[in-house]
Amino acid sequence: MPKFSRSVLLLAPSALLLGVFLIGLIGLITSSLSIDGQLDLGHYTAILNRPDYVEMLGRTLRIAALTTFFSVLLGFPTAYYVARYRGNRNFLLLLIIFPWLVSIVVRSYGWVVILGPRGLINGFANWVGLADRPMKLMYNDFGVILGLVHVLLPFMIIAILSVMLQIPRSMEEASMSLGGRPAHSFRTVVLPLALPGILTGITLVYLMATGAIVTPLLLGGLGDTMLGTEIFQEVMHFFDYPKAAALATVLLITALGVVLPIQIFERWLVRRLSDGAGQ
Amino acid sequence: MTSRIIAVAVLLFLPLPIVIVVLSSFTSAGYLSFPIKGVSLRWYAEFLGSADWLRVMGTSALLALIGATVSTAASLGAAWAVVRHRIRFGTVYETILLTPLIFPHAAIGVIMIVTLSSLGWLGTFTGLVLVHCILTIPYAYRPVAAALRKADPALEEAAASLGSRPWRTFWQVSLPAVRPGLVTSLLFSFIISFDEVTVTMFLVGPFVMTLPVQVFSEVLESASPVIAAVSATLVLFTSAMVFVLDRVIGIQFFVERD
Repeated sequence: MPKFSRSVLLLAPSALLLGVFLIGLIGLITSSLSIDGQLDLGHYTAILNRPDYVEMLGRTLRIAALTTFFSVLLGFPTAYYVARYRGNRNFLLLLIIFPWLVSIVVRSYGWVVILGPRGLINGFANWVGLADRPMKLMYNDFGVILGLVHVLLPFMIIAILSVMLQIPRSMEEASMSLGGRPAHSFRTVVLPLALPGILTGITLVYLMATGAIVTPLLLGGLGDTMLGTEIFQEVMHFFDYPKAAALATVLLITALGVVLPIQIFERWLVRRLSDGAGQ
Repeated sequence: MTSRIIAVAVLLFLPLPIVIVVLSSFTSAGYLSFPIKGVSLRWYAEFLGSADWLRVMGTSALLALIGATVSTAASLGAAWAVVRHRIRFGTVYETILLTPLIFPHAAIGVIMIVTLSSLGWLGTFTGLVLVHCILTIPYAYRPVAAALRKADPALEEAAASLGSRPWRTFWQVSLPAVRPGLVTSLLFSFIISFDEVTVTMFLVGPFVMTLPVQVFSEVLESASPVIAAVSATLVLFTSAMVFVLDRVIGIQFFVERD
């Protein structure tokens, strides 16, 4: 068999899977753009004309942004610590990778057990006599953001760590031995080199936070919806597929609108960094 | 200093809810509470005595097994064409293979409803297999391609020049050389598929249900500690997989760049 047709055969299964995904994507966009087979933006104008939907969009973006912010804030020092750890680094990696691979349902449920009205914290507070009424720790933005940060933080740490482990410690030491103070060496050597990892982490966390359903539903309840939970309800409770398709397209636009520019910037940065290393 | 405190706190914070779930599954009370009322295995007895829960667990395991196998095989094919045949636009194809990763899960869920309903596979096991293959292929591809890049093609040429037929060369020379990559792909895809919930919950139906989706709907509706027992079992499955992955390739695989 000639090499070309062998290549085609080898690529066929993966291309078929991707093809199915792409056809579905096109189907989603066309069904969101049509009413009774006619091109119509009605589903979109209906979304934008409803103040509760606009508010829901704003809440989704706010929660995703805050989740991403806290993930960087917590993820970066953790990645730095693990990368520079001189002891058994594999054990620390296990503390990050293992929770990451446990189902998000289990992890979100864990927070329900901890934060719930009859959960551990309220049970403890009641037991020691701190609070006579249960504190409201979930079914609000606090619970949702806490849960999302917990679920998505490993993505951030792993993304930063995989870049950080490439930076030789000697580089930092060289900068310090040339008189750079630790903070200065950190800012001028470690931070710029780690930036591509941070950007990858931001991309992943933001994407997953905007499209999350499980964690917001379990920790936020049915009241204050986000885009993901709203889509879920349109499908599961109202069987309104065209509206769900329009909401899903809005989700795609908000996600890719943020993610693609970051990706392009990251590529440019990586190219610039490797050019710099070559000189 | 502050950064070290944050790091240590994060490393304790990440496993915390999982530990809590596992511990609370051993309660003897009818609801989860603090302080724990007593220790018993009654919720495990209820879980393992329930034909429904066991059937759902079987479905999840079978789905993950088939999905991981198909994904890994498809990845091996693609990696072979890209790495060994050096097809044109190979790197572009690699990037396209990873695109499902940059789509939010809620959107993928709706996309897959559209696809599966046009195929008539909504709410069927076949449909779930197809979707789980699409979801796991980005994870399955990387380890296989990395292993293939490390394997020396000269070995295959040597086998061929000694008169080995292509298929025999493949089975006895090429495949063993990429075995760690294949095992990693299989395990990684199995975990992703076995734990997947956000996309899958759009696609289950009265005739097919997976374990994480069932846990999710139970958490929404009840507070029975049997959920903790099922969750602890899911954690046990994941631990076993992570243990094997660590043995096969080492946990640092997840933070390596190739």
